[in-house]
Amino acid sequence: MTVAAGIGYALLALGPSLSLFVSVISRKPFLILTLLSSTLVWLVSLIVLSGLWRPFLPLKANVWWPYALLVLSSVCFQESLRFLFWKLYMRLEDVLDSFADRISRPRLFLTDKLQIALAGGLGHGVAHAVFFCLSLLTPAFGPATFYVDRCSKVPFFLVSAIIALAFVTIHTFSMVIAFEGYAKGNKVDQVIVPVIHLSAGMLTLVNFASEGCVIGVPLLYLVASLTLLHCGKMVWQRLIESRNQSGPTLR
Amino acid sequence: MDRNQQRPRSSILDSLGEELIGILTPVSICMFTVVLLVCLLNSDPSSSSSFSSIATAAYSETDSDSPWDKLLGAFLNSLVFVAAITVATFLLVLLFYLRCVTFLKLYMGFSALVVLANLGGEISILLIDRFRFPIDSLTFSILLFNFSVVGVFAVFMSRFSILITQGYLVVIGVLVAYFFTMLPEWTTWVLLVALALYDLAAVLLPVGPLRLLVEMAISRDEDIPALVYEARPVIRDDSRLVQRRVWREQRSNVNDDDVENNVVRAEEEEEQRSEEISVPLIDSSSSSSSRPETFLEGIGLGASGAIKLGLGDFIFYSVLVGRAAMYDLMTVYACYLAIIAGLGVTLMLLSVYQKALPALPVSIMLGVVFYFLARLFLEVFVVQCSSNLVMF
Repeated sequence: MTVAAGIGYALLALGPSLSLFVSVISRKPFLILTLLSSTLVWLVSLIVLSGLWRPFLPLKANVWWPYALLVLSSVCFQESLRFLFWKLYMRLEDVLDSFADRISRPRLFLTDKLQIALAGGLGHGVAHAVFFCLSLLTPAFGPATFYVDRCSKVPFFLVSAIIALAFVTIHTFSMVIAFEGYAKGNKVDQVIVPVIHLSAGMLTLVNFASEGCVIGVPLLYLVASLTLLHCGKMVWQRLIESRNQSGPTLR
Repeated sequence: MDRNQQRPRSSILDSLGEELIGILTPVSICMFTVVLLVCLLNSDPSSSSSFSSIATAAYSETDSDSPWDKLLGAFLNSLVFVAAITVATFLLVLLFYLRCVTFLKLYMGFSALVVLANLGGEISILLIDRFRFPIDSLTFSILLFNFSVVGVFAVFMSRFSILITQGYLVVIGVLVAYFFTMLPEWTTWVLLVALALYDLAAVLLPVGPLRLLVEMAISRDEDIPALVYEARPVIRDDSRLVQRRVWREQRSNVNDDDVENNVVRAEEEEEQRSEEISVPLIDSSSSSSSRPETFLEGIGLGASGAIKLGLGDFIFYSVLVGRAAMYDLMTVYACYLAIIAGLGVTLMLLSVYQKALPALPVSIMLGVVFYFLARLFLEVFVVQCSSNLVMF
């Protein structure tokens, strides 16, 4: 595709994350570091998964169940890695709080913790978009474009950019939900994140049917908007609750 | 004390990690520019052109050799190159010992001039050719001359604007790195690993030339005349940083790093409070990196508390990423993340050990490992999944 179209596809997948980065994350250097480290964690998980699955690749062309197995194993691995990431973050929070006490500054606010979780999720989302969408775009500059048989109405790059955007949203906000769920011990939040991830992964298998992407992609966006709504509701409740908590006691 | 009074107090998250970002940004810009140049200028696969340097003196790779021959040839090349660098670094140590500082500064300026004029001119001509940019030779030579002379002044003079100096150092790194990516493939990889090992030895072993250089510089309380990138010093009222400033105030000779006025003011305030601090709390150490033949170094903490990274590290990180770009962009992203992770680990070790550390080994090793993992495993996996629109 032409350079203009290529930049358009890249912005489609990464535009909202770019604006999140510029407005929230680039202001605080620590959040940039969190983003880079969570991108690295996602990359390492992807490399481990590809190492595990390498003997079985390339998979047969039109059979869908090996892909289901692949998605299931990958999602399970990545979710367990998310839990480990949270454990590491807890230790880091202790270190930061003791550092803050030592230099007599206030400890981490609730908004700080939410921002760190957001940066972590954005790192995962950006890594997904970069490896699944951008890395296929950039070798393909030139005069022509590419269509896949199974989704023949739309160029391949456009479909993968749209799917990548949905996944960026899901990764970013499910990390916030997950961190808050683990911190509060809220079972609903803890379970809902792997469920969302797994259902999103399984929904992309719908793309195997001929013209399946016409159904698959809107359903994926439904899951993404559900994630967004749940995260928004949860964060709003937490903020109201913490304001009510700190209000009466300081009087 | 109510909530309104608490609000203006900023959280520690606002400024934590600023120094790290101050180093990561120029490294990322350098790598990005080299990848861009490689992608723009290497569209025809007929490279491995007439680039002969000291790194291909022993063996020049051709496509028809067997892998074993290529590997052996690459080893020989790296051996020759590392030997040349060792000799040059020992020469540098000798000259520094004999206090020929003026000669070293002149050599630094001369090498900056050669890089900017010669290599910069070559790359500009390649770019003009590629984009069919209409410019006549007189205008081009005047612009190139101005560009190189300003660069030499920026590197030479100490009280130049810090942003321009940093920009020129990044440009020098980009130019040298681009030319190193034109080495044959096997030679590049073996050379990178060999240089990482050399860096480890030269900075950490007691007999290593870079360690000798750093120790001499500390004992004489001077700066090493070399091409070193210094991140902007961070101004904070952190207690550790204040003490670093005081130590710097006690140095007698003129230092070339202080361009921030408020740093000097902070020093004057704190001087009365801490006369008892007589031992330097940190080592202001870093080592040289001028031309590739005399480079290689480590990371040190600058006199004002800013982190110094030698230009050789910039160059070799970018060479690794540029070589990864010649294969595919997925390897570029993987290697970029690996190098940044290695740099972060090195900087953490620096804050723990507080002495000059080699910046190359961790990053290069991680970068090489990630390159081969990405090339062998990741690419097949990701292309399989995404070409069937299966993502997770």
